[in-house]
Amino acid sequence: MLSERDIVARVRHLTVTRLRVWVAQGWIKPADTAAQGFSEADLARAALISNLEDELGFAEEDVAVLLNLIDQIHGLRSELMGLLAALEELPPDIRATVRMRITSRREGGER
Amino acid sequence: MAEDLYSVLGVAKTASAADITKAYRKLAKKLHPDLNPGDKAAEEKFKKIAAAYGIVGDEEKRGLYDRGEIDASGQETPQQRYYREYAGGDEGARYRSTAGYEDIGAFSDLFGDLFGERGGARGGAGGRRFSMRGQDAQYRLDVAFLDAVNGTKTRITLPDGGTLDVAIPPGVTDGQVLRLKGKGNPGMGQGEPGDALIEIAVRPHSVFKREGDDILVDVPITFDEAVLGGKVEVPTITGRVFATVPPGSNTGQTLRLKGRGIKSKSGAGDQLVKLSIVLPERIDEDLKSFAERWREAHRYDPRRKLKEQA
Repeated sequence: MLSERDIVARVRHLTVTRLRVWVAQGWIKPADTAAQGFSEADLARAALISNLEDELGFAEEDVAVLLNLIDQIHGLRSELMGLLAALEELPPDIRATVRMRITSRREGGER
Repeated sequence: MAEDLYSVLGVAKTASAADITKAYRKLAKKLHPDLNPGDKAAEEKFKKIAAAYGIVGDEEKRGLYDRGEIDASGQETPQQRYYREYAGGDEGARYRSTAGYEDIGAFSDLFGDLFGERGGARGGAGGRRFSMRGQDAQYRLDVAFLDAVNGTKTRITLPDGGTLDVAIPPGVTDGQVLRLKGKGNPGMGQGEPGDALIEIAVRPHSVFKREGDDILVDVPITFDEAVLGGKVEVPTITGRVFATVPPGSNTGQTLRLKGRGIKSKSGAGDQLVKLSIVLPERIDEDLKSFAERWREAHRYDPRRKLKEQA
């Protein structure tokens, strides 16, 4: 687990105050809520937010939009991966059928 | 061989610091790995522009670079672990949004409900959860005629052993569906529970019939009541009352008892009492001789119209 101080030390431009604001806004959810302990993922997320605001110059309200979209994308990607993994476990002929159906949908538009 | 850092950012060597930042941001917004999850090429390009900006975006280092004191590869930004590397794993599950799968649920009967479930089950404090309104539960309830017209409260036992209190409104009709809000199946996440839909089947009554808000009853009267009139006891949906049969009433004639029908929002219906003259079961000598005498003097033809028409 990483402490608040660890995160601040490892992310450029970051201060404890800013980090706390991000946590309060729900942008960062400490892995260990009780102890305010952060994980590597939380660290990477803090770096991302700092990137967006400090390097790329996005305004705070834009960051909220971006995070929302990024989280949705990862939600979708995760479901997609789960779906593909499940498909991989099906017998070959069924997989081939699914593949064919997907392809024909793409090409044919309406069924 | 290192590329020229200005051309990496697409700016002239003479560009101002502000222009360099502007050019860098424009490229970075397009190429940032966390804005392009799953795109490996974007990451490579991003690293290049970030490294270039690390030098020419810094006044001091830009000077060193311009004078050839450091080269393009001289400055490597410390390796950053991008958020996307975690986003797909267990750690990222706290952040992954599973909002907005309701349309997918509608799209696929078989699989739709699978999506977002996991997020809902796992979502930590403040996490966005998958929410879906619970399904409506359908039941059928047999109701006695008098309970249907007067309204009542009843309790039904559900297949799962639970119970449901149902208030049956006065005047409920056969086939009417009552909706009990929130008494259906529980919703998922923040979703509201569904409703209980209760289809009412009204059992017919041996005496009362219903027509809209009116109640129809056939009431037999005696021969003498028909001739002389009088008060007869009549059942209504709320109990027995006395109805006045006018002198000279006939079979098929209807008495209207105002307000004795079904009470609805728009007022109350009436009870219609259809009279039918019933002779005594045994015709005694008295009646027989009276009828014979009466016929001699008062012959009449109730079938005249019938003959004219058919």
